[in-house]
Amino acid sequence: MRDTDAGAAEPVLQVERLHTHLAGQWLHRGVDFSIGRGEVVALIGGSGTGKSVLLRECIGLNRPSEGRVRLFGDDICDLSRSHLSRVRSRYGVLFQEGALFSSLTVAENVAAPLVEHTDLPPKLRDEVVNMKIRLVGLPISAADKRPSELSGGMKKRAALARALALEPELLFLDEPTSGLDPISAREFDHLLRVLCDSLGLTALMATHDLDTLWGMVDRVIVLHGGKVIANGPVAAVAKLEHDWIRDYFSAHSGQRGREEFEDGI
Amino acid sequence: MRDASPSLECVLSDAGCLLKPGGRWCINHLEQVDRLLTAASVSYDRSVRIDASDLVALDSAGVMLLVNRLRAKGVVWPSVDLVAFSEAQLTLIHLIADRLDARAPPRKRGVALLPLIGRNAARLTRLLIEQFAFFGRIAEAAADAARHPNLLRLRECTTQLEIVGLNALPIVMLMTFLIGVVFAFLLGIQVQKFGANIFIVDGVSLAVTRELSPMLTAILIAGRSGAAFTAQIGAMKVTEEIDAITTLGLSPVQVLVLPRVLAIIIAMPLLTFIGDVMGVLGAALVANAQLDITYYTFFERLKSVLPVNTVLFGLSKTPIFAAAIALIACRNGFAVSRDARSVGDFTTSTVVQSLVAVILIDAFFAMAFPEII
Repeated sequence: MRDTDAGAAEPVLQVERLHTHLAGQWLHRGVDFSIGRGEVVALIGGSGTGKSVLLRECIGLNRPSEGRVRLFGDDICDLSRSHLSRVRSRYGVLFQEGALFSSLTVAENVAAPLVEHTDLPPKLRDEVVNMKIRLVGLPISAADKRPSELSGGMKKRAALARALALEPELLFLDEPTSGLDPISAREFDHLLRVLCDSLGLTALMATHDLDTLWGMVDRVIVLHGGKVIANGPVAAVAKLEHDWIRDYFSAHSGQRGREEFEDGI
Repeated sequence: MRDASPSLECVLSDAGCLLKPGGRWCINHLEQVDRLLTAASVSYDRSVRIDASDLVALDSAGVMLLVNRLRAKGVVWPSVDLVAFSEAQLTLIHLIADRLDARAPPRKRGVALLPLIGRNAARLTRLLIEQFAFFGRIAEAAADAARHPNLLRLRECTTQLEIVGLNALPIVMLMTFLIGVVFAFLLGIQVQKFGANIFIVDGVSLAVTRELSPMLTAILIAGRSGAAFTAQIGAMKVTEEIDAITTLGLSPVQVLVLPRVLAIIIAMPLLTFIGDVMGVLGAALVANAQLDITYYTFFERLKSVLPVNTVLFGLSKTPIFAAAIALIACRNGFAVSRDARSVGDFTTSTVVQSLVAVILIDAFFAMAFPEII
């Protein structure tokens, strides 16, 4: 849904003083950030810094030990069941491995949220499903295939179609380009950016892919030592004097993306 | 959130056709939007102009309907004049009009009966051939292990023996004991009618040792260990652990299958023997309570009416049951393809197939050796 008038000033997602105690240690020690409408934000950090856990807390799958997560202004931990279900239909999630239901075809996977949350007649629903599949760039022949018959890139696209089925305002992505070859990864980045722009989506993605950062992201949030140590546009964050950030931006093979970026300025 | 129902104003003039959509053209109101668009009179020979100044919200489902319904009325898309749409909305409309150019193919029809029968017959034949091929692979692995005993994974064998044998002991004991009780109780009612109380010992001991205990144990093991084998090996297949074993230069049959086959073949006769004992004990209990046969009389009679050959015959079937179960279970485990659903499918078919196999083998034994009572 693309409101231009409602709640433009209020951030879509707000994480406040979030602490997480997991397996005997503090994973997050006061994480704060917020994301405004229409922003595409990347969450980076080394392995084990709790990016995925943070993402799961934002979605309401895990409960933070302390602090709050506000989605569309509501604290996700305090919501009643019916309210939570309503909020859940306003965001989509793309899981790392796609998490497509393996016993259903692609079309049935995309139809699943529509069946649960809307009362569209079957014919109209099929039309919407068909459109979503085309929208993410899958051939229509993929609709009747099962997830096990799809390549990695096609799985991600099918999962994206399912995440977009209910016209969410907010999209969470866990490593959207992991497991894809560089060409498919760039294509997927491009697709995501086009969809975010045209559907007016807000997106938060956990990623390791430097090319994604340089190519399509508005802002980067760096998670390190349980806290947000940097938060800003990629170019600004990359210049920061911090050991981990310097290593991160120089260790990767994202040189090409960076050069393209600097040529573009 | 503002809740404005969708509306559509349609003005036909000489200059062309003006459409003024209003309200929320979103997925929650899609049915209304569909009705509005279907009812709209748009003629394709005039230029079409869409004015979005009253539009509150528009999402991709709304755009899809706009594109599809106008197309169905013969409107050619790029020639539509779009007024007062925001930049993002225009991108969305162009994206969707562009992606939706191809018509959806008709849905697949069901398969006719005759090809279905043929396909299933071919599948069954293939299954049988695969089963034999797998048997060959196990035999090969066993022969290798016999020549080089250090190939045999003793630790894995004992672990499996514990899981398949020792851990199954309580349930096998309970089930055979209860069957002994039930069988003796029902038979007791019959023999009492003829005043032939003591013959309950003959009936129960023969039935339990020859048929009931071997069959029950085999059924329990098929459901318990057979299903577990398929699920374990299948899950390893899904996570590519089997491939990892192969890449390490090891044979998955040697590492995974052989210990399980050996364990189940060793465990089954032992469990069945315990089952024999428990079944007879259950019967003795009932005979004592219901028919006033003392334990001493019961076991004295048992000694004279139960030939050791009958017990041995009952036990000799069980390694064959065990081999059949292990073979079917492990083969199905390897047949799992790379998704979660097929693990469940193959586990189910393991239980069904091994039960059928157990009963067929039992029938064969009954026909082949009728002289052993």
